[in-house]
Amino acid sequence: MSPQVSLTKDKNHVLPEVVYTAESSLRRPIRLLRQMGRDLWASRALAWRLTVRDISAQYRQSLLGLIWAFLPPIVMAAGFTLARDAQVINLGSTSLPYPAYVMFSMTLWQTFVEALNGPIQALTHAKGLISRINFPGEALILAQWGGILFNFAIKLLLIVGLFLWFRMPVSWTAVLAPGALILLVALGTCLGLLLAPLNMLYQDVARGVIIITGFWVFLTPVVYAVPSGGTFGTIVQLNPVTPLLVTTRELATTGVVSDPQRFWMVSIMTIVGLLLAWVMYRIALPFVIERVSA
Amino acid sequence: MRSDVRSREMAPEYQQDEVILSVEQVSKKFCRSLKRSLYYGVRDIGKELIGGKRKSDTLRKGEFWALQDVSFHMRRGESLALIGANGAGKTTLFRIISGLIKPDTGSVKVKGKVAPLIALGAGFSPILMGRENVYVNMAILGLSKKEIDERFQDVVDFAEIGDAIDAPVQTYSSGMAARLGFACAVHTEPDILLIDEVLAVGDMKFRAKCYRRLAELRKKGTSFVVVSHSPITALSICNSAIYLSKGRLIMTGDTEAIMNQYEEDLSLNGVEKAVGEVFIPDKEEASDLLIKHISFKDAKGSTLEPSVSGKPAYISIGCKAYENFSDVSLTVNIRELSWENNNTLVLESARDNMVFQITPGEFEVQLRMPYLGLRPGTYSLKVYLTSGPYFHMLDVVEGFIFQVKADKNMSQCLFYQPRSWEIVQPQRV
Repeated sequence: MSPQVSLTKDKNHVLPEVVYTAESSLRRPIRLLRQMGRDLWASRALAWRLTVRDISAQYRQSLLGLIWAFLPPIVMAAGFTLARDAQVINLGSTSLPYPAYVMFSMTLWQTFVEALNGPIQALTHAKGLISRINFPGEALILAQWGGILFNFAIKLLLIVGLFLWFRMPVSWTAVLAPGALILLVALGTCLGLLLAPLNMLYQDVARGVIIITGFWVFLTPVVYAVPSGGTFGTIVQLNPVTPLLVTTRELATTGVVSDPQRFWMVSIMTIVGLLLAWVMYRIALPFVIERVSA
Repeated sequence: MRSDVRSREMAPEYQQDEVILSVEQVSKKFCRSLKRSLYYGVRDIGKELIGGKRKSDTLRKGEFWALQDVSFHMRRGESLALIGANGAGKTTLFRIISGLIKPDTGSVKVKGKVAPLIALGAGFSPILMGRENVYVNMAILGLSKKEIDERFQDVVDFAEIGDAIDAPVQTYSSGMAARLGFACAVHTEPDILLIDEVLAVGDMKFRAKCYRRLAELRKKGTSFVVVSHSPITALSICNSAIYLSKGRLIMTGDTEAIMNQYEEDLSLNGVEKAVGEVFIPDKEEASDLLIKHISFKDAKGSTLEPSVSGKPAYISIGCKAYENFSDVSLTVNIRELSWENNNTLVLESARDNMVFQITPGEFEVQLRMPYLGLRPGTYSLKVYLTSGPYFHMLDVVEGFIFQVKADKNMSQCLFYQPRSWEIVQPQRV
């Protein structure tokens, strides 16, 4: 998948020419970037189709349908609220009413995990397709984004209900929250893109991701407030998800961003990382297809 | 080694010399061990990412060349058949041409849109309706929504799906799903269509329709690259062919010539060498009626090797009986080696109302064929003797290999037809 495109004129048609060679496409970075842009643009219609397909397939064979999107944060919040009220666990005090805090944070965390798993699942499911038909692999990732945004939009209903129920004030900065959320999704996608091709070769990756994300959630201020000081506090602050998730939450509620410096740092890292991960994903795909193909 | 055969039936408005597919010294290596293959995969990705040289032109431990130094090109409007045994590298070549995998050496230049006809119904989601799946499938093949809208009705009509287009694909019969997949693929109107052994879809009627559609596309100037084991498919679609064997290109040229060469090689490469006559050694578990020798003879009774299509021949089976039998029947199964496991001929003497009375001693049963109807090729013969109405098996001999050659070229015929030609004019009174 390292096409170089030039246009050849003839009397009737202009046929685009593609050349495949063994050479690494990184050796011509400008051409590579141009191809990436072109493929991204070309894959938008297909990505939309795939998004629609995945979402309709997901809900068509389900009785409860959309309720599944609401359940995990509610169950999680109920569990932790009960444990906290019974003082089984000590989670400190939060800036928002605790159930709302957990539910909102959990929704954000889940969105991050979905973004992380997205590329991995997309490649696994499309194994038969990508090993037979040459189409822009970007479409699969964009389609995952579509699914994630759709799921988040549904959960947004829950969040709006939550805000009304607890009569939480909303700051004008809430309009900026989607920006931070997208960065959160971008961070997840970046990691997912790096892992997805590897997972096609070694399935250990997907298993490892399940365990790691299960642990990671406790290193992220989801069920507790951002801790200050201590080894644990440092670990939580070094966790790149923390600034993105916390800032999204803060923008949507209090309007006061507690650690803008760290937020910007992680944001820039995320954007650069996403670009690099995208390049890696593109370069790795043909090699992966070569090894897994039926 | 290039194929320079120009299409004789090219649409005149095209620039005739334009090469739309050019494969230059392409090689590709694979590894049979899965563990090592995955490890090499990770290493290749790593090397590629740091922009280093992969040394892709040398073999690592456990690797072999799936394709080696293959060069050919195809002009606009031409159609090319890839011929070769399983594992010759045809599919690998396909995947490199479609850009799915990278060549390890050499380069492939492709002009125009390439569509594979290899993944019928790939991406069909069983719980979605046929309609939704058509849109998804054709989008994957690279069409915009507008283009799909324009073709949608044609696709449905072609697939003969009718109202079922609004039912989930999981309710379709396998034939319906395959037809819909095929219809999607052939309506993408690519410049080069890659066809990999998929024409055996659906019933006879639908297959005929597929061939018509392919012929239409050819008329419009679409080029085909076809992989097929069936000489009929290759000959009817392609004017030129390349012959791959163990990853190497060994011949290019006219499809018919290549097909003949391929079939001849197949029969020569057969492990079982054809012999005119075999004698069967005594077995341990001796039955009371044994087959002792088998031979293929011509009309004069001399052993024939090889036999010739259309000429008289007989199969002679020598037996020895140790008892009296009143109702012995002989069955002869003939199977062509290069084709699938179907029998070409199953001839049972009892069905021709011939049961033999046997007395102890040696005798010979002859199956006489005034015209040997088999087409040229290599065949395997199985003979068995049964007695009584319940086919009590007395003796069986398998794996007698014989060859049939042609006097004249018969490669487009499935069997030899005895015939004569005559011109008849109305008699003047």
